[in-house]
Amino acid sequence: MNAGQKSARRIAASNGPIPRDTVCFSCLHRLTHPSRRPASTAAALAESPPIPSHQQRHTNPPVTTAKAPRKAYQLLASPVLSRPPLLTRDLTSFEKAYYLYQKRLNERLALPFTRYFYYKKGTPGDAEWKRKIKVRKTPARDIGVYAAYGDEGWNDEVLVGDRTAERESVVEALVRDAEGKAIIDEEVVGDENKDGLAVAGDSKTGEGQRRDLTKVEVERPVGRVTEADTANDMRSLSRKMDRTLYLLVKNREGRWRFPQDRVYGRENLHQAAERILVQGFGIDMNTWIVGNHPIGHHQMNYTSGGAPAPRLAKITPNRLVSTSRDRAEYEQEEYGEKVFFMKGRMMTGQADIGKNEYGDSEFRWLVKEEVEEAVTGGYWKSVKDMLAER
Amino acid sequence: MALLQEVTSTFLRRFKAPPASLHRKWASHCRHASTGAVAQETDELEQSSFLQGEGPAQQAIERFDPAGVAKRRNRRLPPSRYQFRSPRYYRGPLHPHQPPRPSEPSSREFAPGPFSLPRLEQTYHDTLASDYMVLAYAHLPPGQTAFKKGERLRRWEGDSPYFKNRPLRGPRGGDTLRLLRKPVTFRNVPQLQRVTVHTMSSDAINSGAALHVSGMVLQAITNVRAEAHEVKKSVAGFGVRAGMYLSLTCELKGEDMYHFLSKLVDVVMPKMKDWPGVKGSSGDFSGNIALGLKAEEVALFPEMEVNYDMCVRYYLSPTFRIWLLANS
Repeated sequence: MNAGQKSARRIAASNGPIPRDTVCFSCLHRLTHPSRRPASTAAALAESPPIPSHQQRHTNPPVTTAKAPRKAYQLLASPVLSRPPLLTRDLTSFEKAYYLYQKRLNERLALPFTRYFYYKKGTPGDAEWKRKIKVRKTPARDIGVYAAYGDEGWNDEVLVGDRTAERESVVEALVRDAEGKAIIDEEVVGDENKDGLAVAGDSKTGEGQRRDLTKVEVERPVGRVTEADTANDMRSLSRKMDRTLYLLVKNREGRWRFPQDRVYGRENLHQAAERILVQGFGIDMNTWIVGNHPIGHHQMNYTSGGAPAPRLAKITPNRLVSTSRDRAEYEQEEYGEKVFFMKGRMMTGQADIGKNEYGDSEFRWLVKEEVEEAVTGGYWKSVKDMLAER
Repeated sequence: MALLQEVTSTFLRRFKAPPASLHRKWASHCRHASTGAVAQETDELEQSSFLQGEGPAQQAIERFDPAGVAKRRNRRLPPSRYQFRSPRYYRGPLHPHQPPRPSEPSSREFAPGPFSLPRLEQTYHDTLASDYMVLAYAHLPPGQTAFKKGERLRRWEGDSPYFKNRPLRGPRGGDTLRLLRKPVTFRNVPQLQRVTVHTMSSDAINSGAALHVSGMVLQAITNVRAEAHEVKKSVAGFGVRAGMYLSLTCELKGEDMYHFLSKLVDVVMPKMKDWPGVKGSSGDFSGNIALGLKAEEVALFPEMEVNYDMCVRYYLSPTFRIWLLANS
């Protein structure tokens, strides 16, 4: 049992009605249903000094409805919807150099390739292997031309400006290998057949002219930069594929922030987060709210000229929250807002701002640095620690 | 009196405010983890003349050609000058010739690697780990203590004299004790620790070739040397005698583990015909899962597809049992 509950019980145990502004809803609910307590809490209660008998009869004093509007903070739930990175990150120059060096060291230290296990003698595969290994001098295809077992095996470090470890070079080498070519263009010596090329036509007309015997086109990997990146389309989910994207909206006041709305009735934070996504962006998004706990919190007090300036808010029931319809429209004096951020993951679909019920005019999928530029300073301070670095 | 004044002044000096704010000084020294991404790769490294300098001059870069220099050299270098050989035996800490650390390429124990940054590992660190943290988080407001579970084994309550010194009773509703769980914090987020791939070949009872082929297949797929295990007990009905080598395991960790798992999940599993999926009741509900692959499913691994004829020529490809073990 925590201190808050104790104080709530003290208030409840004291004579007189419980003012709704002093005790929170869940504590009030607990106090009015004492039988629902777990055994451990009940045992702890038994140890506490006995309550006088005249008070025991009035353990559930009626909740009074005060004449003045309730004083409170505006409680808001805010889904932080993110699209996780879909691509691996770019390696740093050090990582590239390190991995290439380790691969070359491995070639030096590994036992020789067991060719006769993989290629039967005299098969086309064996011929292809021999043709390729003659050029690249090592079984590995992505470390450039390097004779690990040769006299110059010690020369395993590449020089400054070498492009062997770059992603494009590795892709190029692998694609060439899959197409049946050697990893680099070797110089043609006479009419010797190489790389699936043969002397074309009769020898009189086209001496040395070559044509492809078997042209194999291997599909190249799709580029890491998408159309959305080149067009800088902030609303596309296919931009910045190697980073986490966060969904931000521009609210009525023209401020960028995560989508947010009041928590209605007796719904939980994660229920509210799911509802906000539906009411804010339609049902064409497949999302998952990760866990029931908020991952962050932001508080803002209403002030004018440094002094607190509470605002009177009229709260009407939400059509999607059935428990909010228990009470009719009521007024509340709000001193500020407390926002609880719920972590959400984007699975499929796309946001549709046309169906927004909160008056948000625009949405964007932004990475962390862009979020910093878009939101205000105080808001950034509250949200920065819950956004992933990549 | 003068002495007393001096003492007082030194005493008072201690209470004077430092010239600059301590906090600001402290803050300037340590970069907070949540500050934005570093602009340049070298920003995270400590400053040194190596990073400050412009690097070697263009002329020096062009002139630098170690292979060419070695080729042009017409005399042999004395081998002891440039060929370091690690001592074959460790002769104690006082011996002048000490073996280098295993991380040095000249060491006899050196094993190269890692060779890549696996995609699955990146996904874990960027996506899964933080989600696990959120899911496993238990909120304890200040002043509230965590729920304490009762004793795992119950006492014998009663007046019977036989209850004295009797071993404790098992848990209610079953004999097996539930697994203990540590609360998940940012230090012990569940992560895959290792994967064990096992295969047992009954054909190896009659011929040794089957075990060799299984070993080659395992090694080709997992990139780890397979370890053979001998049979513990004889089973006359199967013709198995104790001491025969019939099974192989590969224990995968780190980079190999992530590559194997991505191949299994992204390549092999989608290709399986009429696959019912991994059984929901598999595993111990504490992060460990076991699954099996039939021979025709093992043949779907890309390494096997390329060389399937070779393996079939010797023998049918083996079946796999795979254990995925996490720390949770």
